[in-house]
Amino acid sequence: MSTPNPNQPPTSGLRYPSNKKTIYDRNLNRSKNAELSRAAFAYLFVEMISYAQRNVRDISSLEKRLNTQGYPLGLRLLDLLLSRSSNPLASIRPTRIHTLIQWVAQTLWRHLFGRPADALERGTTDPSQYMLYDNDPMVNQYISLPKEMRGLNCAAFVAGIIEGVCDGAGFPTEGVTAHSVGEEEGKAGMWPGKTVFLIKFKGEVLEREEILGRGGG
Amino acid sequence: MSYTFTILSPTDTPLFTHDFGTSRSGGDGIPRFTSTERSLIPFILHSALDIVEEVQWGPSTSAGSAPMYLKHIDKYQNNFISCWITGGNVRFLLLTRPRDEALGLTGGGGGSGQKGSLAGGRAGMAGSGLLYSPTNPATEEAVKNFFVDVYESWLKTIMNPFFNVGNGDVVKSPVFRARVAAAAKKYL
Repeated sequence: MSTPNPNQPPTSGLRYPSNKKTIYDRNLNRSKNAELSRAAFAYLFVEMISYAQRNVRDISSLEKRLNTQGYPLGLRLLDLLLSRSSNPLASIRPTRIHTLIQWVAQTLWRHLFGRPADALERGTTDPSQYMLYDNDPMVNQYISLPKEMRGLNCAAFVAGIIEGVCDGAGFPTEGVTAHSVGEEEGKAGMWPGKTVFLIKFKGEVLEREEILGRGGG
Repeated sequence: MSYTFTILSPTDTPLFTHDFGTSRSGGDGIPRFTSTERSLIPFILHSALDIVEEVQWGPSTSAGSAPMYLKHIDKYQNNFISCWITGGNVRFLLLTRPRDEALGLTGGGGGSGQKGSLAGGRAGMAGSGLLYSPTNPATEEAVKNFFVDVYESWLKTIMNPFFNVGNGDVVKSPVFRARVAAAAKKYL
């Protein structure tokens, strides 16, 4: 592999923006506290859903496509938000499931939706499963499902973001899925849009967790 | 001193490599690896990944998070390896090859016999403050500052929607390389 001389001005192939500012010249924290118009997001999200709906066979594959759209976002947000933590020089990363899930429910949720997630539970029957609740997912705010698509939850997009975060951090999952639980509990009315994100970690993650917790601790 | 900096993806694919020499104390920034050393470097770096995997999850007593900067993690002959691991499990490895004088290898007739010997290297280092030590606070700090700068550039790279994160996309941007070179010149 030939190593180009770093002192030589970059020439071939690279197109510079007209203001001569590459992505490396921009500040990563400029948009830290910036807020995005909800209408703009809703408009974009509508287009994303109709894009995902093209030639789609059934609801689960539509959710899968939305998940895939969110996944790369998760990979990126993980590093971006970690770097924005209180002290960038003492950069830390989560190394245990609990810390990671908390980070998702607090930091990630605050960044995406401006508030923390509403509840976080660990599966009672299946210890590899975690449930993250959002009483009123922002992404579903302007979505009203037609009758024949009752099973769909467009928060599958957010589930994809969570999956990207977990996979990126080295906690591979069997998959993260979003399910509507607003009406099934018989308490309809309070939070009709309530959504649960089921996060199921792979066996190897729990195994590692156990070994780490045991060793010398 | 000569350095090799490599970025490895979570699946151990090299995404970026940059060789440079020290710019400190009159250094000219040109790496001085012998051809044998140069051909060994990829093997040394990859073998260091085993150590990274051992230490990256931190001690069992940790509160659930660990620093990205893993400091000096491995040594092979006269090569010292430091590591920074990003949140997304991308590994930055910096291999340092100090000059023979800085390792105490050139003085006296026994020098050539000691060359490449781990025990000889350690004993030599303990002797004088002038010798290179990877755990010297000043060295650790300089390497950390270098990594912090590179990490910022790396973040900007992965924010690019056309950069396929976690999929083995190689960093080709000459601007990124210039940034790494600038950080190297500034701190190492």
